Amino acid sequence: MILVGAVSEIPVGESVRVQGQVAIAVFNVDGEFYAIDDTCTHQDASLSDGWLEGCAVECPLHAACFDLRTGRPSGPPARKPVRTHEVVLVDDQVYVHETIGTGVPAEVVGAGSGEIR
Amino acid sequence: MSSVELPHQQPEPATSLIPTLPGAHYTDPALFEREQRRIFQAHWFAAARSSDLPDPGAFRTVDVGGESVLIVRGRDRSLRAFLNVCRHRGARLCVEDSGAVRRSLQCPYHAWTYGLDGSLIAAPNLNSMHDVDRGEYGLITVALREWLGTVWVCLADEPPSFADSVQSAVTGRLGDDEAIEEWGIDELVVGRRITYDVKANWKLIVENFMECYHCATIHPELTEVLPEFADGYAAQYFVGHGAEFGEDVGGFTVDGQSSGFDKLSGVGADHDRRYYAITVNPQVFINLVPDHVIFHRMYPMAVDRTVVECDWLYPRSVIDSGADLSKSVELFHRVNQQDFDACERCQPAMSSKAYAAGGVLVPSEHHIGEFRDWVADAISD
Repeated sequence: MILVGAVSEIPVGESVRVQGQVAIAVFNVDGEFYAIDDTCTHQDASLSDGWLEGCAVECPLHAACFDLRTGRPSGPPARKPVRTHEVVLVDDQVYVHETIGTGVPAEVVGAGSGEIR
Repeated sequence: MSSVELPHQQPEPATSLIPTLPGAHYTDPALFEREQRRIFQAHWFAAARSSDLPDPGAFRTVDVGGESVLIVRGRDRSLRAFLNVCRHRGARLCVEDSGAVRRSLQCPYHAWTYGLDGSLIAAPNLNSMHDVDRGEYGLITVALREWLGTVWVCLADEPPSFADSVQSAVTGRLGDDEAIEEWGIDELVVGRRITYDVKANWKLIVENFMECYHCATIHPELTEVLPEFADGYAAQYFVGHGAEFGEDVGGFTVDGQSSGFDKLSGVGADHDRRYYAITVNPQVFINLVPDHVIFHRMYPMAVDRTVVECDWLYPRSVIDSGADLSKSVELFHRVNQQDFDACERCQPAMSSKAYAAGGVLVPSEHHIGEFRDWVADAISD
């Protein structure tokens, strides 16, 4: 598991980037934490620099929008989903359990492993 | 404030006629380029009305001294100004004169993306360039001040003191540090804006505004309201002098009969029924009357072309009442048209052999000599 930081260090509406096998973005949506691959699948840009809209993040470059729960894009310009990762809270510390295997379609990965604890 | 000598009591100058700038100063693109750098980039420049940018993301782009300056209201509601140039390959970020962005300022070329505070937020492949310090590639900041509801910017690396330049020009003309506050200009609302595209050098417009020798000839409506203007002495000839309304004048309106609106609440009795005019070098004219304020911002575009944006400012209560502003606005709109027509009449002659050495200023125009010297000093080596 990857330690992201204390809950208090990630305010509501903010995001943090951590390094796993690839960069992972962790978001605090009204106290719920979500983790997805940080790099937009449309063009290399950091989704942790993007804007939270409800339970989705909008890429800062071309406004591709990804659902934080499933990793799926809402529409063009992104076509491929990002991976989601399990977030675990232990003693007010936020950890990410990285989903192993890159490039796995979200149809397979997203449903079960992206649940928020 | 009002205890100023009357025009006919002015002492006779030793020499009646003193020179203007030579004609080339109004026609030579190289001199204009020098003015852009030495005057318009070096001094505080009134770029916009603060209310032009009401909400976060609202922006205006303004040409200042040959640079495009981008003014934008941030998410923290503060105004900031930047050079309108992408740090990547130099594309102009915003090409529109005004508008609103949702969240960021994005270059339309390679999508380098900046926050409303100018910081570099994102760029394609930026995360792979580990050696790049984003902090070094934010937009270039331009100094900005807000005063009189106006956004003033300065392109100088070390801007001159705002108090000693802009504010002292205003208080110096009114002869009182506090007087300008009486009109509450920052609280007033734009009731009407008219933009004039004038085919004349900016200095012709300043010089015109400073004198009233022409008033009796080209401004019949204004002279009707302010009879002393027929004597040719502008309010700017004096310190602390407001030109008094004629006895039977109802208000500062195009026919002089209409009463205008209630006196602004802060304007004292000694400023009532008077017209005050202020020039803030190099590009602002402020006209104060009891019930409104007329605020001119000039944007020099070329040696022979100047855009003038003129705002008529009223209390919000007047605007909200739906009152008819037309007679109020029409007076100075006519004055503007009459003045700019005169300036456009002069511009073609500036390159004539007849004007190579310039013209002359009569005694009631001698205060223009200070402006002439200010310009000459600024562009001299």
